[in-house]
Amino acid sequence: MNSRKRATWFGLAAGAGLIAMSGTAFAAGPTCDGGTIKIGSVSTITGPVDFSAAPKAAAAYFDQLNEAGGINGCKIEYFMGDDRGDPLVATQTARDLIDNEKVVVMAGSASLLDCGVNAQLYQRSNVLDVPGLAVDPVCYTAPSVSGVAPGPYVLSTAMLYYASEELGNESICAFNYVIGGWKEAMEGAMAEWEQITGKKLTILDMTLPVQGDLTPYLIRARDEGCDAVFTNQVEPGIVQLINTADAQGIEGIDFVFLASGFTEGVATALKDSPQPIYVGTEWEPYTLENEANSGWRAMIEKAGITPSAFSQAGYLAGEVITSVISGIDGEVTNESVAQALRTMEPATFPIAAAPYLFGEGAMDGPMRATKVVKLDGGVWSVVTPDWLDLPSVN
Amino acid sequence: MDSLLTSAVAGLSAGGAYAILGVCVVFTFRLVAVVNFTATALGAIGAFVMVFLTEAGYPLVPAVLTGLVAGTLASVVVGFVTTIWFSGANQTVKAAVTAAILVCLIALGLRFTGGQHPRAFPDLVGGAGLRLAGVTITTASLVSIALAVILTVAVEQFLARTRTGLQLRALSERPMAAELLGVPVRPLALGVWAASGAMTTIALMLIAPLRSPDFGSLSLLVVPAFAAALVGMFQSFRAALAGGILIGVIEGLASGFVELAQYRSAVPFLVILTVLMWSQRGARWDEAR
Repeated sequence: MNSRKRATWFGLAAGAGLIAMSGTAFAAGPTCDGGTIKIGSVSTITGPVDFSAAPKAAAAYFDQLNEAGGINGCKIEYFMGDDRGDPLVATQTARDLIDNEKVVVMAGSASLLDCGVNAQLYQRSNVLDVPGLAVDPVCYTAPSVSGVAPGPYVLSTAMLYYASEELGNESICAFNYVIGGWKEAMEGAMAEWEQITGKKLTILDMTLPVQGDLTPYLIRARDEGCDAVFTNQVEPGIVQLINTADAQGIEGIDFVFLASGFTEGVATALKDSPQPIYVGTEWEPYTLENEANSGWRAMIEKAGITPSAFSQAGYLAGEVITSVISGIDGEVTNESVAQALRTMEPATFPIAAAPYLFGEGAMDGPMRATKVVKLDGGVWSVVTPDWLDLPSVN
Repeated sequence: MDSLLTSAVAGLSAGGAYAILGVCVVFTFRLVAVVNFTATALGAIGAFVMVFLTEAGYPLVPAVLTGLVAGTLASVVVGFVTTIWFSGANQTVKAAVTAAILVCLIALGLRFTGGQHPRAFPDLVGGAGLRLAGVTITTASLVSIALAVILTVAVEQFLARTRTGLQLRALSERPMAAELLGVPVRPLALGVWAASGAMTTIALMLIAPLRSPDFGSLSLLVVPAFAAALVGMFQSFRAALAGGILIGVIEGLASGFVELAQYRSAVPFLVILTVLMWSQRGARWDEAR
C-alpha cells in the first residue's frame, strides 16, 4: 500500500470514526459495545433433515449488510447453531449462544424442534426468537417466538379455503399425518376452516402414514366423492400420493398441499402427472423474477445460494431483525431488542405475505395470507397474482 | 361388504412388495444363516443408482443394469463382512452386525441422496394391470407378486434338486462341517449375497415409484419384509410369500375402518407377535405342564 493510499484510508477511517462518535453523542440510532451485534440461530442442519438453507441465507444477508457498513456502523456477528434434530443438543446450543456468546436475539433459525425445547429459555433469558422456518406447533403459541411466515397451521386453513372458495370445490377431504404435538394444531386448523366457511369436511382423517401404502386412502377419497384432497405431507409423501393417484387413474380431484411441496424436486418428479396440484407458498413465490424478489435474488446470486423458499425465509428473518435493530436508539442489548420487537408497529416487507408484527409472540398478529402455485408440466406457475387473504373467524 | 373387498384389494399393491421382499429375506437366511437387516437398504442403493442415472439423462436399460450391479456389489460387501470377518460368530451377532450396518447405510444414504428430497423413480413396468372391486392393481404389483412366486418355486427346486443347492443347504446348517468336507464356502456364500442383492434391487426398483421416494423410507421396508419372512419362520418361502400378501391385505382392510386406521402401521408388528406366540405355544404349554 503506498503512502497516498494509506493517507486516504486513514482519512476515511477518521471520518467514519467522527460520524460514529457524533452518532453516540446524540444517541440517534443503535450503538454497540465492541463494534458488533451478535445474533444467533438454532437449526436442524445435520440429522434427519437439512434445513441449513435458511440460516445460510440469513448469514449471507448479514454478510452483505456488513459489507455495506453494518447497522449504524455495528457489524453483525451471526452464529449458525446446529441441533442435529436432537432436543438435548438444541438446548445446549441455545444455552451456549445466550450464556457464552451473549447473542441479543435469535433470527433465521429453521429447526424441527427448537421452539418446543427452547421457547421457555428464550422467554426467561429475554432473548427473543424470529425463526425463518418454524415447524413445531409451540412456535405458534409461545410468547417468545414469532416467525416470519404464516406457518403450516395457518397455511393449512388457507389452502382448504383456497380449495373450497377459490377453486369452488364442494366436497373437501383432508388427510393428515401427525407427529409430536401436531394433532391439536392440525385439528385446530381444520376446525378454523369450518368456522370461516360454515362448511364441513367430507373426510377428516388424521391417520395418514408417514411410511406405507397410500392406495387405500385415495380409493376412499374417490369413493366418498372428494372434489379436493388436502394433505400436510412433505416432499416425498406428496410425490408418493400423486404417483398413487396416477396409478389408480384418479380424475377430477384437486390436490392441495403445504409450502414444503413447493420445490424443484417435486416439480421434476411429478412433471408427467395429469393431476391438478396446488401448493401454498407462504411468501412471494421464489420462482418469480419480480420486484418483490429482487433484493433476495440479488443476494443469493452473489452468495451462490440455490433459490428456494428456505433461503427466502432466512433472508426475510435477516431483513426483519435488521429493520427492528435499526430503530433502536442507544445500546443494542437483548433487552433493547426485545423491547423493540414487543413494541414494534406492523412492518411491511416485499417477500412477506402480510405485515410482520412480533407483539406478544406468534399468537399476536400472525400473517394470514399466501400465494398459490400450480404445477403445469413440471413448472410451477402462480395462480394467485394477488395475495390470498384468509378471513378471520367472526 | 363391497367396501371391505375394495379395501382388501387396495392392500394388494403393498402386499406384492412385502411378499417379494419377504422371500428375499428368507433366501438369505436359509442359505447363509444371516438375518439380514440391510436387505432393503442394499436394494435401495441399487434403485438410487438407477434413478441418479436416469435423472442424468441416461437411457433406462443401462441405468437399470448399472443399478443392478451396484445393488449386487453392495450386497457382496455386506456379505463379505458378515461371512468373512464374522465367520465364527453366531446368528445373533451377525444379525446385530447387519442392524448396525443398516443404521450406517440409512445415515449415509440420506446424505448422499439429498435427504427428504424426492427422486423421480421411473415406472419400469408402467400400466394399469387389472381392475378389481374398483381398484387398479398396477402391473408393477402384479409383476412383484409373479416374481415372488417364480422365485419361490425356482429356489425350492434349486435347493432340492441340484448339487450346488445341496452344498448351500450344508453351508447354512453346518458351515464348519461343510468347509471341512471341501464345500467352497466363501464363493458360495458371496454368491448367495450377490443373488439376494440383485433380487432385492429389482424388487425395490419395482416398488419405489409407489412408495415414499426417499432412502430412509425405502430402507425401512425391511420391517414388513421381516414380518412376512417370520410368517414362514424364516424357513418357508411359500409361507413368506403368502404372509407378505396377507400383511398388505390386512393393512388395506385396517385403513377401511376409521377407528383402526391409525394403528395400521402396527400391523406388521402384530403379525410378528402373533406368529411368535403361535409358534412358541408348544414350548410354553409343555413347560406349564
